[in-house]
Amino acid sequence: MTAKPIDVDPITLQVIGGALHTIAKEMGHVLYRMSYSSIIRESEDLGAGLFDRNFNTLCESDSTPMHIGSIPAYLRGIDETLHDPWQPGDIVIHNHPYYGASHSPDIAAVAPVFYDGELVGYSANTAHHVDIGAATPGLIIDVPDVFAEGMLFKGVKLYEGGTLNRALWQFIETNTRVPSQVMGDIEAQVASVELGVKRFVELIDQHGKDVVFTATEQLMDYSERMLRRQIAAIPDGEYRAEGFLDDDGRNRKEPLPVKVAVRIEGDSAEVDLTGSSPQVPTAFNVPFEGSTKVACFFAFRALLLDTATISEHVPQNEGSFRPIKVTAPKGTIFNPEYPASAEARFNQIQRVVDCIAKALAPVIPEKVTAGSSADVSAIAYSGVRPDGQYWVFIEVNEGACGGRPSSDGPDTIEELMRNTRNNPIEDLGMHLPLLCDRYELRDDVMPGAGRHRGGIGVIKVQRYLTPGFLTHEADRHDDPPWGFRGGTAGRGGRLIKYNIADPDRIEDLPAKLHGLRNQAGDCIGFLGPCGGGYGDPLERPAEQVREDVLDDFCTREHAREAYGVVLTEALELDAAATEARRAEMAKQAA
Amino acid sequence: MARIGVDVGGTFTDLILETDGDASDGGGRVFVHKVPSTPEDQSRGVIQGVLEICAEAGVAPGAIEQIVHGTTIATNTVIEYSGAEVGMLTTRGFRDILHMARHKRPHNFSVQFDVPWQSRPLVKRRNRVPITERILPPGGSVETALDEDEVRAAAELFKARGVDAIIVCFLFAFLNDAHEQRAKEIVREVIPDAYVSCSSEVVDVIREYERFSTAAMNAFIGPRTTFYLNNLATALKENGVDAQIRVMQSNGGVTTLTGAAERPVTILMSGPAGGVIGGQWAGDMSGVRNLITVDIGGTSADISVVPGGEVRIMNPRDTQVGGYPILAPMIDLATIGAGGGSIAYVDEGGAFRVGPRSAGADPGPACYGRGGTEPTVTDAQVVLGRLDPEQFLGGGLEIDPARSRKALEDNLCGPLGMSLEEAALGVIRVINSNMSLAIRANSVAKGVDPRDYALVAFGGAGPLHGVALAHSVFAREVIVPPAPGINAATGLLATDMRYEFTRSVLCVLTQASQDEIDGLNAETDALVQRARDALRADGVAPEHQRVVRVAECRYQGQGFELRGTMPDGPLTLDNRAELLASFHERHRQDYGHAFEDQEVEVITLRVVASAGIGALSWPDSEAGSGRNPEDALLYRRATTFDDGRSYETPRFDRSALKAGQHIDGPAIVIQTDSTTIVPPGYEATVAQSGNLHVREVAAS
Repeated sequence: MTAKPIDVDPITLQVIGGALHTIAKEMGHVLYRMSYSSIIRESEDLGAGLFDRNFNTLCESDSTPMHIGSIPAYLRGIDETLHDPWQPGDIVIHNHPYYGASHSPDIAAVAPVFYDGELVGYSANTAHHVDIGAATPGLIIDVPDVFAEGMLFKGVKLYEGGTLNRALWQFIETNTRVPSQVMGDIEAQVASVELGVKRFVELIDQHGKDVVFTATEQLMDYSERMLRRQIAAIPDGEYRAEGFLDDDGRNRKEPLPVKVAVRIEGDSAEVDLTGSSPQVPTAFNVPFEGSTKVACFFAFRALLLDTATISEHVPQNEGSFRPIKVTAPKGTIFNPEYPASAEARFNQIQRVVDCIAKALAPVIPEKVTAGSSADVSAIAYSGVRPDGQYWVFIEVNEGACGGRPSSDGPDTIEELMRNTRNNPIEDLGMHLPLLCDRYELRDDVMPGAGRHRGGIGVIKVQRYLTPGFLTHEADRHDDPPWGFRGGTAGRGGRLIKYNIADPDRIEDLPAKLHGLRNQAGDCIGFLGPCGGGYGDPLERPAEQVREDVLDDFCTREHAREAYGVVLTEALELDAAATEARRAEMAKQAA
Repeated sequence: MARIGVDVGGTFTDLILETDGDASDGGGRVFVHKVPSTPEDQSRGVIQGVLEICAEAGVAPGAIEQIVHGTTIATNTVIEYSGAEVGMLTTRGFRDILHMARHKRPHNFSVQFDVPWQSRPLVKRRNRVPITERILPPGGSVETALDEDEVRAAAELFKARGVDAIIVCFLFAFLNDAHEQRAKEIVREVIPDAYVSCSSEVVDVIREYERFSTAAMNAFIGPRTTFYLNNLATALKENGVDAQIRVMQSNGGVTTLTGAAERPVTILMSGPAGGVIGGQWAGDMSGVRNLITVDIGGTSADISVVPGGEVRIMNPRDTQVGGYPILAPMIDLATIGAGGGSIAYVDEGGAFRVGPRSAGADPGPACYGRGGTEPTVTDAQVVLGRLDPEQFLGGGLEIDPARSRKALEDNLCGPLGMSLEEAALGVIRVINSNMSLAIRANSVAKGVDPRDYALVAFGGAGPLHGVALAHSVFAREVIVPPAPGINAATGLLATDMRYEFTRSVLCVLTQASQDEIDGLNAETDALVQRARDALRADGVAPEHQRVVRVAECRYQGQGFELRGTMPDGPLTLDNRAELLASFHERHRQDYGHAFEDQEVEVITLRVVASAGIGALSWPDSEAGSGRNPEDALLYRRATTFDDGRSYETPRFDRSALKAGQHIDGPAIVIQTDSTTIVPPGYEATVAQSGNLHVREVAAS
C-alpha cells in the first residue's frame, strides 16, 4: 500500500497506534476464548493481527512470542500459491512449511481486507492444531519427510466470496484424529479474522485510508528506531556462542552443533548460523522463514526492549524486524531443503535465542540472563476410547530461567519464545484417561549456583489409566544451561518411565520419543532442565542461602558445597564456619 | 435517624449522610463531606469524617443507624504484601501448585520480568506441607486415605511456628471434601483458635491453582482485614456511634462485618464497585438503564458497562488482584492508567505519550507547585483555561498556572515544535483516545452498542472528559451525578445486601438424564438454602430476599464458561431449552458466534441472593426554568475547546442551578469537587433529580 505522502501529526499517530493494538488484542481474545483444544484455549498457542498489502505487520496480539512475527512469511507463501485472485469474503488456510509456515500444525486463517473495491491489507491469525493427521497422534519426531506431517494446505480457500467450501471442510474433518476439537478451533479462527476485517474497515472509515497507511508506516519507523537505538549502543564487532542439541531422535547420542555469530555494525545486527548442524533425516529441522528468522527477531526485542524494564509500549510491527538480518545456509538444520520434515523445531530455535544472549552477554551483561532451559518439552498423550474415538492431548511442560543481574531465575516457567498456560490437573482428570501423580519442583538436583541462582525445573508425572501412545519432542538432556560471571552451570533434563505397580523400577528414556506404546498404569515423568547461576555464589548473602534451605530450594549440603554457607543441624547459620569455608573457597578459585 | 456511606480512597475519604423521612417534614436531607485519608490506619480518617459529617448535618453520632463502608484495607494488604503468615496442607506430590501457578510469565518480550507468586508468595514454601491422601476423578472416590498423623504433625509444626492462618488445599476437593474437612477438624483439635479454612469452603470450584490461590489469599488478608474491621467497630462505639456496619463487596453488594471477615477475598474491589453502583444509581434517577460508567481520578480511570440497569460480573477467568487470581465475583470493570495526574512526555523514539506514569497526589501536577515539573493532564486543562485556579477544591487548593505553562513548554512544545495550545490539546486528545479505546474494548468488543447508552461521568476529573468520550464512542448523552466527586460513597447507600455461592457440577446439559437434572436441582436448592440462611442470619425476612440462579456453561470441550440464566422453578428436561437459549445468546453477544447444534456443558452453579437495604433518595432540585440563568452565572473567561478555538466562556455555579434550566455550550459548570465542560454545540439540562444531562444540540 503506497499512501499519499501526507503528514500525520504525533497525536493522531498515537490514536491510530492505540486502535491497532486494541484490534489485535480483540482478535486474539475471540480466538482463544472460543476455541476447543487445550493447546489454544489454555496454552494460548496462537497469534492474530492485521497486515498491509505488502505483508508488513501492522499489529499483533500479545499471545505466544513464537507466533508473533511469523505471519508475514505465511502471507508471502499464500501470495505465491493462491489459485484464484483474492475477493471479498475469502478466507484462506495455509500451513506449508516450505511456503512460509512456522510449522505445519500452526494453520493460518487469512482474510483479505478490501476498501472501496481495492485490496488494502489482510486480517490473519495462526493457531496450533492438536492433530492434523500426521504419522503419529499430535506430534512427530522420526518421520521420513514433510508428507508424514499430515494435511498440507497451500493458499487454499476455505471460504470463497463468503461461501464455505464444504468439500474441503469435510476433507479436514475426515483427516484429523480429533475432528470435534480441530473443526471448533477453525471456527474460532474464522470468527477472529472476520472481526479483524470489520475493525480494519472501521478504522479506515474513521481516519481515511491515506492517514491510516501513512500512520502505520510511521509506527513501523518508530518501532525500528527504538530497536536501532539499542543496537547502536552495543560496540561493533562479532560475538560468538555455541552449544549442542542431544540428537535428531533417530541417530541416538549423535549431538548436533548450534553455532551462532552475532555481528553488530552501527545500528544493525546480523545473526549468522553457519556451522550449525546439517539438516537431519527426521522432523527435527526448522523452517527458515516462519521459525528461524522469527527466533532471531524475538531475541533482540526481548533482550533490548525488555517490557519489564522499559515503560513505553513499543508497537509490535514489522519495524522491529528491519534492523536484523538472519543467515543460515541451505541444507542446514535451520534452513532445510524440501522434502525434509520440519515439524519439531522448537528446541532448536530456543537454543538460537539462548546462544544470541550468550554471545552478547559480555557486552550487555545487565540485559541478559545466565543460561535458561531454552528448550521445550511437548508431549502428545493419546489413545483410543472404548467408543473408538481418539483422544489426543498435547502438554507443554515448563522450563526454568537462568539467574539474572538482579534477581534469581524464576522456577518452573515458560521462558524465551514460549509462553503457554498449563492445563489444570483437575480439568484434565475429568476428561481424559490420564491422571497426574506429581507436579512440583524437581528435588533430585540443584540448579546453577550464583549470586542469583538459576531457576528450578519441574517434575511432572502422568499416569496412563488405559493403554495409549506417547510422542515426546524435547532436548537438553546432555548440554546443561550455562552459568555466567562465576555462576555455575544448571542441569539437564530427564525423562523417566515406571509402572505404578513397581514404582522403584525406573527407566531413563531419551528426550525424543516417537509413538511409544504404554500400558495402563505406566507413568511418564518429565524432569525439566534447571537454569544456570549468575554471578559468584560466594557473594550470595549467607542469610539468603539459609532462607533457601528453610524453603527446600537448596539442601544443607548444597549450601555448604556451592555457596560455602554452613548451617547447624537446627538450620541456624554458623557464621564463623561460613566465613572460614568461604575464605577457603575463594582462595581455591583464585 | 440517619445512615452514612464512607469510602476510603488513596487521597481522600469521602462521606455521604442521609437523614430519614420526607424533605417536606425536614427529613430526607443529604450531606456530603471529604477528609484526608489516613493510610497508616484508615479507621482514623473514617472516624474523623463520620464525626464531622454528623456535626455538619446536626445529627448526633448515636442517631446513626447504619454505616456502609468501602475500604481498601484488603487490597492494600496485597499491594503492600503485608498479610498473614499462612500455613498450608496440600496433597503430597503437589507442594508447589501456588509456586508454579499457570506457568505463564507476565510478559512476552522480557527476560527480567518479575513473577509475583514466586517473589512474593502468599504461602512460603516452608509452610506448604504435603499430606498423603488422594481423591480420584471423575467420581470423587478415595484412592489413598488421609494420613491423619501427618496432618496432626503439620498442625503441631504450625503451632510451634506461630502461623496466623491455616488453609487445607487438596486436589479434587470439589468432588469430595471429606479429606479437607477431616484435616480441618484435626487442625482445630491441635490449635483450637486457628483461622483455618478449606479450599472448597472458600470457593467450591474446579481448577486447583485458582481455588488454592483464592483460599491462600483469603487467609493472607483475613487476619489483618478482620482486625481492622473489628477495630473500626470498636472505635466507632467509643465515639458514640452504635450503628450497624456493612461493607461493600467487589460484586457491588454489601455484606456484614462477619461476612467480610470470613471471606475478605470478596471485598478486594470494594472501592471501585461503589463507584459503578453510584453511576447506576445516578442513571436510575434519570430513568436511564443502559449506562457506561466512567470514574476518572488522579491516576486511573475505571470503566464499566451497565446494560439494562444490571451491573455485569466479570468472567471468573479474569478476576485477579496484584497478579494473583481470585475466584470471587467482581463487577466487570476495566482500570486504565489515565487520570488528571497522568504525565505527558516525548519518549526516546519521539512518540507523544500520556500516562500510565502519573504524578499522583504527591508531587501532583506541576501547577500544584509541590516539585512536579512534568506536565500532566490537569496542567493541560489549566493551560486551556478549563480549570480555573481559584476553583480547585472549592478554592481549598492554591495552584499556579504559570507552572503548568512552563511544564508544557519545556517538555512538549520544544521537542515537538508545537505551540502551547496545540500541545495542551494534544495531551487531552491522547488521554481521551486511551480512555475511549478502553470503553470500546469493554462495550463494542463485547457486543454492546454505545449508541444506546448514556455515559455517566464522575470522579474528580470525569465531568471534564465526559462529553469528549461520549462523542468518540457515540454514546447518546452524558450524565453528571449531583455529587460526582464523592460518587463512590453515594453508591454505598444505593446498593443491596448480596451473597453468592457456587458449586462445580460438570454435567452435559444437552444429554442430561432425568437423574442428572434432579442432581442439578438438588445442588441448586442446597445453594439457595445456604444463600437464604446467610440473609436470614443478617435479619432479612424471606419476603425481602431475592434469589437469582445462574448456570455457568460452555460448549463441551471449550475451556471458558459464560453465564446462562436458569428458568423459573426447577430445571426440567423441557425447560432446559430456556437455559440453553440464554447461554447461546450470551456466547453470540460476547464472541459474535453461537453453535446451537453443539453439546453444552454446565460447569458451575451459582446462586446470588440479595436484599434491598433502602436506596438513597437524593432531594429533588428546586424547580426553575429558562436558559443560562444569570443568578447562577459566576463570571466569564477565555477557554479553549477541542475544536481548537477559544471562546469567552461563562462559568455557572452548580449549586445555584434549578431543575429544568438549560445551559448552552460553550459553558463550564463548577462545583466544589468537580468541573463539567459543556462544549460548543452541546447543551446541559438540570434534571429534577439533580443530575446534569449534557447532549449534543441537534443540527438544524
